[in-house]
Amino acid sequence: TLQLIQNAAARVLTGTRTRDHISPGLRPGVPSVRPPPVFVSPTKLASEAGSQVEYLGANRVPDLQKVFQRSDGVPVHLKRGLIDKLLYRTTMGLTVGGALYCLVALYIAAQPRNK
Amino acid sequence: MAHQAHAYHMVDPSPWPLTGAIAALLMTSGLAVWFHFHSTTLMILGTILLLLTMFQWWRDVVREGTFQGHHTPPVQKGLRYGMILFITSEVFFFLGFFWAFYHSSLAPTPELGGCWPPTGITTLDPFEVPLLNTAVLLASGVTVTWAHHSIMEGERKQAIQSLTLTIALGFYFTFLQAMEYYEAPFTIADGVYGSTFFVATGFHGLHVIIGSMFLAVCLLRQIHFHFTSEHHFGFEAAAWYWHFVDVVWLFLYISIYWWGS
Repeated sequence: TLQLIQNAAARVLTGTRTRDHISPGLRPGVPSVRPPPVFVSPTKLASEAGSQVEYLGANRVPDLQKVFQRSDGVPVHLKRGLIDKLLYRTTMGLTVGGALYCLVALYIAAQPRNK
Repeated sequence: MAHQAHAYHMVDPSPWPLTGAIAALLMTSGLAVWFHFHSTTLMILGTILLLLTMFQWWRDVVREGTFQGHHTPPVQKGLRYGMILFITSEVFFFLGFFWAFYHSSLAPTPELGGCWPPTGITTLDPFEVPLLNTAVLLASGVTVTWAHHSIMEGERKQAIQSLTLTIALGFYFTFLQAMEYYEAPFTIADGVYGSTFFVATGFHGLHVIIGSMFLAVCLLRQIHFHFTSEHHFGFEAAAWYWHFVDVVWLFLYISIYWWGS
């Protein structure tokens, strides 16, 4: 039964009739059915000019290249401005704070336990 | 930016090596503190710092290469050497665990019953989930090669699809392996069998996760048009790493799962 269902589904998707698979195939004069483009991405007509169909966004690399190649002497890890500065300061804060916390913890850990 | 009369990359001063080193200090000391004083604060702090360092360091590498154009052919050659050397070091890392496995399994001691697998150990059937895992990783090797060719041929959509499929297969492997770990009739504490099994496969699983993350970053970069058909070394590095992970699994499968059962 599962096979019958699958066969029926396949016929619906490809637009074929029940006995089309038997040679010699369609009667001459009958126009063959083009399978409907079910899973094809949106197509463009040749007349709708050269560029690619946009798939998952446009190319922003040239704009970013302009941003990062500005001759302002800012190092690469800060070049995007505020967001970079915030992330850098957070990381550095954790680094310095963490290092101090670590030294204290190690000092405490090194104390002899008097039983 | 100063104009240079050479093709090499003089990096901007960067804080990430320092933050990374401190992260390593915090993680290792934190591990010791966790063992002896039951507090995970230091270790977690170290891990957070490590993640921040990795994100910002590699973000900067992408900026330097893709947006600033510093990855000229000689620079790329250096990066290739670097990745090859790193993978080689990982090969030696795994070699150690294989050495340990063969040391114990080729001459099983009387304490184990003089046999391998040791007495009392119910091994996993190598022709069940482990074989599926082998198929999954081999298939992912095919899909990652498909992705590479798609990138080289400028086929954006195919590259995205095949790369996504590769990552999905990687996650599927991890999921299956996690299920196996949960259902296994033996644990890491079950003698030298348990130790060698879980340490070797465990580190491998960690590398699958790392490889999947690397490929996921490549997928994001591919979507954002970072790769060109001629220049996509980040992807190649990820693909090399992925093939390495696949090969390690094949050795694990043959040695521990199959021969060792």
